[in-house]
Amino acid sequence: MNRQPDFAAADHAQLVELRDRLREAEETLEAIRNGEVDAVVVGGPAGQQVYTLENADRPYRVLIEQMQEGAVTLSEHGLMLYCNQRFATLVGAERESLIGEPIERFVVSTETSAFHRLMDSGRGARRSAEFMLQAADGSRVPVNVSIADLKVDAQMPRVLCGVVTDLTHSRERSHELAAANMQLASEIDERRRAEDGLQLALDAADMGNWELNLVNDVVTRSARYDQIFGYTAGERTWEWPTMLSQFLPDDREAVDVEFARAKRTGFIDFERRIRRVSDEAIRWVQIKGRTYYQDGKPVRIAGVISDVTDRRHVEEQLRQAQKMEAIGQLTGGIAHDFNNLLMVVGGSLDMLDQRIEKDEKTARYLAAARQGVERGARLNQQLLAFSRRQDLRVEAVCIEDLIGTFENLLDRAVGETITVHIERAPELWYCRTDPHQLETAILNLAINARDAMPQGGAITLRTRILQLDAQGAATSGAAAGDYVVVSLSDTGMGMPPDVVDRVFEPFFTTKDVGKGTGLGLSQVYGFARQSGGFVNIESQPGSGTTVFIHLPRTARPVAVETATHSTAEIKGKGVVLVVEDDNDVRAVASSLLENLGYSVLEAETGSDAMRLIERGGRIDLIFTDVIMPGDMNGIDLVRELKARHATIPVLLTSGYTAQRIASEELVKDLQLLRKPYNQVELSLAVRMVMNDRA
Amino acid sequence: MNERDGDGGDGVPSAGQYKLRLFITGSTPRSTRAIENMRRICEENLDGRYDLEVVDVYQDPEATRELQIIATPTLVKILPEPLRRIIGDLSDRERVLAGLDIAPLDQAKRKDA
Repeated sequence: MNRQPDFAAADHAQLVELRDRLREAEETLEAIRNGEVDAVVVGGPAGQQVYTLENADRPYRVLIEQMQEGAVTLSEHGLMLYCNQRFATLVGAERESLIGEPIERFVVSTETSAFHRLMDSGRGARRSAEFMLQAADGSRVPVNVSIADLKVDAQMPRVLCGVVTDLTHSRERSHELAAANMQLASEIDERRRAEDGLQLALDAADMGNWELNLVNDVVTRSARYDQIFGYTAGERTWEWPTMLSQFLPDDREAVDVEFARAKRTGFIDFERRIRRVSDEAIRWVQIKGRTYYQDGKPVRIAGVISDVTDRRHVEEQLRQAQKMEAIGQLTGGIAHDFNNLLMVVGGSLDMLDQRIEKDEKTARYLAAARQGVERGARLNQQLLAFSRRQDLRVEAVCIEDLIGTFENLLDRAVGETITVHIERAPELWYCRTDPHQLETAILNLAINARDAMPQGGAITLRTRILQLDAQGAATSGAAAGDYVVVSLSDTGMGMPPDVVDRVFEPFFTTKDVGKGTGLGLSQVYGFARQSGGFVNIESQPGSGTTVFIHLPRTARPVAVETATHSTAEIKGKGVVLVVEDDNDVRAVASSLLENLGYSVLEAETGSDAMRLIERGGRIDLIFTDVIMPGDMNGIDLVRELKARHATIPVLLTSGYTAQRIASEELVKDLQLLRKPYNQVELSLAVRMVMNDRA
Repeated sequence: MNERDGDGGDGVPSAGQYKLRLFITGSTPRSTRAIENMRRICEENLDGRYDLEVVDVYQDPEATRELQIIATPTLVKILPEPLRRIIGDLSDRERVLAGLDIAPLDQAKRKDA
């Protein structure tokens, strides 16, 4: 190689660089020649231009073809120049048939003008809007169309590119969401209505509600809950120990047990006593509820509460009334049999009296026996009074007229260590009652008062008027209206509540054996009930007792019947048919009648009596018991006689139930002889009936 | 597309740091291969001592002017000097290493010899 001196002087480094650049240029040419490049870059006055070789844009085509959005290029006038497969599928047409078609063909007619505006507006800017596409088969597809100017070359005509997104799924999701929202809204609405209804029901039932959170022990209460416990509104929240402490100390353990049980069983329902904060009153509350669990563990107990004091009070009274009624039934039954026994004893004594020689001793024994019968009869009257089966001779009575009698009675009964006060009423009040029974009742009360004050004291007799409304009437088991209240108070030792609960029961007594029969207050009770009234008692140990007899007030007095009592027997003649199921009583009655001079026929039952009558023999009087077993009692017998137009006079006899049968029209005019009767009474009654008919 | 790796991302490489720039055209097959080859070569031989930028000439055609790029893909070694261009998809590993003036790690002895 020829080397010029200046060339030789050339820097070695420069030489190396030139050699490298030559190699680089050769390599570039080689690469381009071998097709190892995708694009060449050509500089020019308009800037660097990139020219792609081969199918360098294939990835982009694939991207456009494969994407899940429809893609189109549009001419300025909306003709489709290109569309991808997805767009063709959206409009349901072959791709080949779409190129060159106006895209608005697939926009629903009502939206074409809006589509034009989208294409024309904002040249050069991107914009998008939602449209409804109409597919070739007529179905509709909601889409979002996004349009941009496709700027490739300054010389190229204006081209737009569009991306069409199918909104069907998103619309469906929106609809589902909207439907779910609607559902939720209606459920909330429903729930609110249910809650309103529940609140209404709770209010109507006067119930409060509560919830005990078992995790943090906090008790949530409604306003009514606080009211029941006597709190005013706005009490602080409290926890389980506070809730428990509001129950009476005696009941707390039981309440605790109930709640512990509820955690296991899932339910709670009990009645216990609380002390109301506002007035310290003891009230019964009923708590009902259920337990809620989470993962098998109890997390809260919720329920309702109501004040059931009044209900329990009424129930208690009902139970008491039912008990008294049952005892009354029993006592009435006993008294009935007892009357028959007294009848037999008394009748037999009458006959003995006539048949035996009497020395002084025998006469004394007979008199003592008779006295015994009379006492037994009086006792029986008290039993009947309690069981409300005695004969009440009801009159319109002015209590004030009787006060004088009462005063004497009280003075005699109570003795000198006790002072008697009478508080007279300012007006004259009449009430319907039997004055003799009222007298007995006052006497019974006075005796009790005396026994309650062995060291002396005071008795006050008071009369007043009480107006009883429907509620008060229901509580007392009587009718609403005006009542005359006769009350008797003492200053004695009083009684504890458990004694007060039982004082009206027959044979219940706190007096020593032999001192009392236990029938005094029973008579008062039965007499008041039978008069259409009722009795209350107020008593506390150490502060005396007051008994209130309520008798229904009546407006005008009715003329008082005066019965004349004769003491001499009247003998007679004639045939008397005695109808009586008790053999002993029948025998006594027959003997008494024979003693009086009558001939006697006997029948054991009503049917037997009818057969005797039908035989047609002479019968001047039928003397029949009212209550008899079998298919025909005394009343039935009278009814049967009437049906056959028999004109034989009838005299009824009974130990009780006179009041009941007297109301029947059929027997209104009939005479009734009360058992036990003696020979004199029988003779008078028989005489009277036979004379009436004669 | 613009990617930087390793230390000296702030453009002021420390001594021994390579500053490289790869010109490509979008997602074309050769450009894609060039990116993958470049990354592998850098990771295997430069071990964090490099700063690589990938330039898409579609997005930034003017970027070709400064370094006189006439085709893609082209890798340019800017630092250390001298500046060198390597054209193609960089699948010839030996040629790329030679162009970058790097001895392959596992062949260092042979180069020293």
